[in-house]
Amino acid sequence: MLPSFEERSVWVQLIALGLGLGGYFAAAGPMLARGVMETTPYVAVFAVSLVLLIGVMIAGHIIAAVFGGTEEEDERDRLIGWKAEARSSWVLGLGVFGAIGALVFGVEGVWVANGLLLALFASEMLKLALQAVSYRRGV
Amino acid sequence: MAGRDKPGGGRVINHIRLLRAAADGMTQGELATRVGVSRQTLNAIEGGKYAPSLEIAFKIARELGRPLAEVFEFVER
Repeated sequence: MLPSFEERSVWVQLIALGLGLGGYFAAAGPMLARGVMETTPYVAVFAVSLVLLIGVMIAGHIIAAVFGGTEEEDERDRLIGWKAEARSSWVLGLGVFGAIGALVFGVEGVWVANGLLLALFASEMLKLALQAVSYRRGV
Repeated sequence: MAGRDKPGGGRVINHIRLLRAAADGMTQGELATRVGVSRQTLNAIEGGKYAPSLEIAFKIARELGRPLAEVFEFVER
């Protein structure tokens, strides 16, 4: 049986986020390691990755809708989403506290901003992965 | 017959698949549409991978023309 549209959407988001923000960190990581502290190069890389993310998201959802159609979200989809959110939000919380701590200790703003973005990225990836697992293994 | 473990030491099982067959071979898709869930969700309920809300359970029983206790039952472990 073909997965529901909501499940297919989770996979599209997982791939889009992995390519988009994963690509950003693949490029920004070496820049940070080289000691680049100006924000402009990071903003440029982020803009490109954002375009990639949105493009994959739109194309992926169109393909998901064409192959298998669409149906409205139901209570199982909502429950899977809520549970995944509850189990993954601690990652973002940890990142926020880490960023506050980093600011207190005078860490460079570029590091703090990238750390926050990494926490958001990790939190979303974990949420989507948990959703994908719940669709297969049951709630 | 399919079920799912519950923390209270028992599990809810259901007889939807059998009752669909008894109801003039109603398909999973037809029942899902009538109840207002996706076919995949109804399949998960039948397979014991998802325990539905009371609202959906009552709707399933109504569409199958059976009392709730005939469609779902709680069995002690």
